[in-house]
Amino acid sequence: MAHETEHKSNHPSLKQYLVIAVILFAITIVEFGIIWEPIGVEDDLGPTVTPILIGLSAIKFAIVIMYYMHLKFDDRFFGTVFIAGVVLAFAVGGALMTLFLSFDGEPRSYAAAHAVPYEGHHAAEEKHLTDGAEATETEHAPEPVAAGPISFTVAAEGETLTFDTESLSAASGSEITITFDNPSVNNSHNLVIVQDGTKDAVAADGTPAGPANNWVAPGDSRVIANTALLGPGESGDVTFTAPVPGTYQFVCTFPGHNFTMFGDFTVE
Amino acid sequence: MAHAVEHEYTTTGLNHRKMLMWVFLGSDCLFFGSLIATYMVYRGQSLVGPYPIDIIDIPLTTISTFVLLMSSFAMVRALAATQADDKKGTVNWLLITAGLGAIFIGFQIYEFNTFKNEGLTLGGNLFGATFYTLTGFHGAHVTLGIVWLVAAAILGAKGRLHSGTALDVELLGLYWHFVDIVWIVIFTLLYLIGGFDAGPTAIPSG
Repeated sequence: MAHETEHKSNHPSLKQYLVIAVILFAITIVEFGIIWEPIGVEDDLGPTVTPILIGLSAIKFAIVIMYYMHLKFDDRFFGTVFIAGVVLAFAVGGALMTLFLSFDGEPRSYAAAHAVPYEGHHAAEEKHLTDGAEATETEHAPEPVAAGPISFTVAAEGETLTFDTESLSAASGSEITITFDNPSVNNSHNLVIVQDGTKDAVAADGTPAGPANNWVAPGDSRVIANTALLGPGESGDVTFTAPVPGTYQFVCTFPGHNFTMFGDFTVE
Repeated sequence: MAHAVEHEYTTTGLNHRKMLMWVFLGSDCLFFGSLIATYMVYRGQSLVGPYPIDIIDIPLTTISTFVLLMSSFAMVRALAATQADDKKGTVNWLLITAGLGAIFIGFQIYEFNTFKNEGLTLGGNLFGATFYTLTGFHGAHVTLGIVWLVAAAILGAKGRLHSGTALDVELLGLYWHFVDIVWIVIFTLLYLIGGFDAGPTAIPSG
């Protein structure tokens, strides 16, 4: 009987439980408000968003274990046992993240350089519906892309000795990965990024260098980056940092291809 | 009978079963801690889509998060009713808790199904593997909790839950609230923070 009364006085009243429920709801609404774009608070907060969200969820976590799970009113030993588990979980998490992310492996930069864009379900559907309008869409001026790792995929257009893309653009300083596919049956190709207006000269100087040098003269200062020479059906990639803003060209330096197989590369 | 349950002799003076539940919950923290850490380690490492920003639906999941929070409130009401020897209240609140849990699972089934149709699979990319493993195990915990809640409601209807056996409901409540706090963490990390993770962007090309 004594136990009974102790129980009653020790647990929160229904009214308190209701207040706690309202607080938990309110915090969740605030969290949602912080990240929901139309409200626009996220931009003002900038990088502090993450610590704020983690702090708010920690508050919710604490409220639930203290009041709903009665740790505030129960014997401290229960809390100690549980918090020990929480602390160990943090230790395991910290150890795993340190192990896999801190020692040189840089798996995220690898992913950033090699990941391929996802043509979303909706985007794919839209494209399917407006197949006719697609042609005009690709003629639009290339949109500037924010600095940061960027991936492009470029392919040779069958046997026509052209690229499927006429222009690429990126922000200066961003890390760029160009994946070049050569679906051709007969032709070998490469993709070389060069200074503006130098594509034919670079190709001419690359001819004596031969296929062993990927048809690029070694040490050519006009060359910013190049892929290896890709045989029919092969693909390869090249990663480089976008140079100072300006216009550049990309070209295939396989002898003769440079006259038709090139495009503009704009750095903003 | 009730006396024996409440005042069992232990070296700590604390109830064995309640201690067992807290030790289990402490160890379950490690279970989820490892899965969450794995998600965080592999975050941003998927080489192919879909990436989180392509499919994560934050408004929808905010609603299911509300539902789970509400179920925690129903759970404390169930315990309060049990302690007050309110048989009808006990059964009703237990069933409401189970029902809200089932709604949460319904949201999750809908979400998984949508994601699958959008191309996210367990073996498709690192995001899919870590996302489904973590949220799937959480969903399994909720499902187990629903089974337990319904079983308790049946016991309650038979008059087996009252102030003398309130510990049965209290332990169930501890488990249920734990599942709720795990979701609080998952919701923050995978949805509010990780839900905007994008893959590489590219110029549309022919």
